Amino acid sequence: MNMKKFLIHLSLILAFIFIYLLQSIFFTNFTIAGIKPNLFVILMLFIGLYTGRSMGIIYGIIYGVLIDLWIGKNIGITSVCLALVGIVGGIFDKNFSKDSRIIIIFIGALSTVLYETAVYILQIILFNINVEVLSFIKILLIETIYNILILVILYPLIRNSGYEIESEIKGDKILTRYF
Amino acid sequence: MERNKKVGAVGVIITIIILILLVIFTNKSTENISTIENIANIVVVPIQNGLTYLKNKINNNDSFFENIDTLKAENEELKQKNSELEKSLREFEVMKTENEQLKQQLNLAEKYSEYTTIPGTIISRDISNYSKTLLINVGSNNGIKENMTVIAEEGLVGYVVSTTPTTAKIQTIVDSASSTSCLSSTTREIMVCKGTIESESTLKATNISTDANIIQGDSVETSGMGGIYTKGIHVGRIKMVSEGTNKIDSYAVIETAVDFEKLETVLVIIQ
Repeated sequence: MNMKKFLIHLSLILAFIFIYLLQSIFFTNFTIAGIKPNLFVILMLFIGLYTGRSMGIIYGIIYGVLIDLWIGKNIGITSVCLALVGIVGGIFDKNFSKDSRIIIIFIGALSTVLYETAVYILQIILFNINVEVLSFIKILLIETIYNILILVILYPLIRNSGYEIESEIKGDKILTRYF
Repeated sequence: MERNKKVGAVGVIITIIILILLVIFTNKSTENISTIENIANIVVVPIQNGLTYLKNKINNNDSFFENIDTLKAENEELKQKNSELEKSLREFEVMKTENEQLKQQLNLAEKYSEYTTIPGTIISRDISNYSKTLLINVGSNNGIKENMTVIAEEGLVGYVVSTTPTTAKIQTIVDSASSTSCLSSTTREIMVCKGTIESESTLKATNISTDANIIQGDSVETSGMGGIYTKGIHVGRIKMVSEGTNKIDSYAVIETAVDFEKLETVLVIIQ
């Protein structure tokens, strides 16, 4: 592994720690109607979109296990669902252009809905919690809007750093798609 | 290209402003809304006055004005009386809540003096919107073990799920996956209180017996059943009782004594 690749992986781990701190300290107070955004979904989508499906799955599982170890009730739910977002990112990477802001926002919204629905369903099954469909939809809606707003703000950063990472990680493979 | 970049930057700034405004407005309490009302009044009242003056001029009816004068005087008098009454009511309410708080503090001090506790500070909160676990800065090095009860000054917080040498993870009673066996203080009715995803300050009490007598405003405490929570710890007050179409699906909403949004320090009962 060359130096640049190592730096990319290091920055992805640092980004995860930074987002964890943001999410657990800053966003617990900076809410829209009491609802926090989910920056991990955005990070996972970013990894899936610019590094491919397999990296998306690996990072999803690693991040998920760490989150569950730190604050989760059991190990597994977050891993599975974050890996799912990584897969979604990988699929969209192959089929859509990443130059469009609208498409990135659309994928972000879709991933948030998918992730939260999967987490909620798994929680219902594993912890036997009460099913509250209306409250769930309300939370989901606000969270998705919040994530969309953050994606709009972060889009320039995502695009620029994304292309850097993509060209480094995928190397020659990337050319076959365009030529 | 340059223009596109500029448009993009403006878009990002506008989104940041929208986000901040959304966060501020959706989290404002109702008392702040009165400021907006006041501003609206400042704009609307002069227009209203002007229009009323015009209307009166057009009507030009003497008896009408005489009536208005007496009515005005009467109205003034009533307003004064009303404000005096409101004032005394406010004073009464303040005294009532003060009284309740003092009673509660006295009770708690007596109730919890028998336990040996270790204080801990919350260092991290759950990242998701569906679960409400907490992380505190004391762990197995301080003698904390799994399944220990965690309380705050106001009442029950939750229990310890897992520990590391320096931290402990707490599952709060408002977490949607947690169930607490409780009983009402006066009627001693047993119920199971579950957390909801909807609110961080209420619990849903189910499994209430069909002939149970649940009183609104009654205080709720832990029953000691289930083997995790110690008996007799204050949980909250019954906010609402809902009787379903049949008695079996009736439930009660319990307002927790602890304000989980503002909670900063907790006590872990070790003995």
